[in-house]
Amino acid sequence: MPIGNLDVPVIGKNVVIAVLVQTHILFAAFIIGAVLIAATSEYLGMVTKQPNYERFARNLARFVVLLFASGAALAITFVLALVTLFPVFFSILQNIFFWVFLVEAFMFLGQIIIVYAWYNVWDKLAYRKSLHVVFGFIAGFFGLMAMTMIDAVASFMLTPAEVTSQAELVARSFLNQTMVPLNMHRFIGNFSYAGFLIAGWGAWRYLRTTQDSEREYYDWMGHFGLIWGFGFLIMQPVIGYGYLKGIRESAPESFNTIMLGPKAWVFNLLVFWIAVLSIASTAYFVHKLRFTVKPMETLRKLAVGGLGFTALFTLLNVIPADADLIPQIGLSFLGGEDTSIPLGSMYPWKYIGLIGLMLVGFFVVALYLRATATGFHWGRASRWSQYALIACSVFVVFTMVTMGYTRETARRVDNDPGYLINNCVPLDQSVVSEGCPTEPIMKAAE
Amino acid sequence: MIDLALLLLQEGTTAHPEPIGVFRFFAAFVLIMTFFSSFLGFTYWISKDE
Repeated sequence: MPIGNLDVPVIGKNVVIAVLVQTHILFAAFIIGAVLIAATSEYLGMVTKQPNYERFARNLARFVVLLFASGAALAITFVLALVTLFPVFFSILQNIFFWVFLVEAFMFLGQIIIVYAWYNVWDKLAYRKSLHVVFGFIAGFFGLMAMTMIDAVASFMLTPAEVTSQAELVARSFLNQTMVPLNMHRFIGNFSYAGFLIAGWGAWRYLRTTQDSEREYYDWMGHFGLIWGFGFLIMQPVIGYGYLKGIRESAPESFNTIMLGPKAWVFNLLVFWIAVLSIASTAYFVHKLRFTVKPMETLRKLAVGGLGFTALFTLLNVIPADADLIPQIGLSFLGGEDTSIPLGSMYPWKYIGLIGLMLVGFFVVALYLRATATGFHWGRASRWSQYALIACSVFVVFTMVTMGYTRETARRVDNDPGYLINNCVPLDQSVVSEGCPTEPIMKAAE
Repeated sequence: MIDLALLLLQEGTTAHPEPIGVFRFFAAFVLIMTFFSSFLGFTYWISKDE
């Protein structure tokens, strides 16, 4: 190898990359989701003339402007770490995705310029509100495009495209088998993640404030955030299924590892987080339906039924397939792998659980939106309902981290070897001579 | 507690076939949470006076 193989003491170089990327994603996903939610809120404020929307949009825009520095600093540090610790791997990626990285850089630049402009001309364009709202949506669009570019690279690392000639390398690698489903999954996820964090933030402020007007505003903010958070969360099972289907067809060994094999526990962990998110959100909706301006007891009773079904379906999702819970640390009982648990199988129970969760979720959200149309008495929510929102904001972060780990660990089927680009470039940055579907990578190494 | 610690340090992980792999998993998790909450908290702190 022409370049020294550097390592990092104690934590190792993989952890350095994981920490920088995952933390960056936690900021970047929030910024993309928050910009689009704030722009929508500004638009709603313009249309409905309700002051909460405008106040919320402006405060969120300011927070995003300030938060941008952390997200960007982590991105730059990550690229520096990648070039230093994985130079050969980075040069392979650069050879394939030069144009993608270039477009991403300009999208990132566009996002910064427009987000800052959007916030700074808030007063100047007060009488040209439509134009100002467009600024917000354009900033969100640039963010989404930057995400799309990096999704092409991330999806390629797990499912490298079948490429036989140099001429088709860039296009086929960009549109590899899991690029579109991953992008859809993250597009929806941005709204959900940002929504839950906003809800948690509103709840925390609600619990700390002593002024009635502020309590009303933060109560509304928690409600508004949760509609985004839970509303988009319930779309994820179908989109996530599409993504996993893509992985199963293109990288079946990786699929088996994370869904059925030794790393299946990460998915059990994931559905556990989703169970907490779903139950806490539905419980909040049930609680909130007590404070409608026009009493809606029937709707509330239906929502209580929805909460029961949510609990039932999420419970069905978290039951493991066998008694070998986490083989990596020896956490197994009653005979481990040989003892299958009847209600834990994928078909039909997990499908019933996931589809049921979605249907009940849509039902409860529809009930809640119906009640929202008539209005709520704000500022009367209980402390426990706010704790539910705060729990959502914590568990959505756990969900993001768990999903990030799941996708990356899918390339380490038996760790003999673990791959940086699945079946093409192992962790030691050598290039495998056979089995790699992207032939130009192998030819370049010869 | 000791039993749990011994359980966590068992060999056989596919991530790294050594206890260091388990340690690194949790080290990464703690570092991510620390960085995320620190940066978020700092941003809140610089924004709240306005």
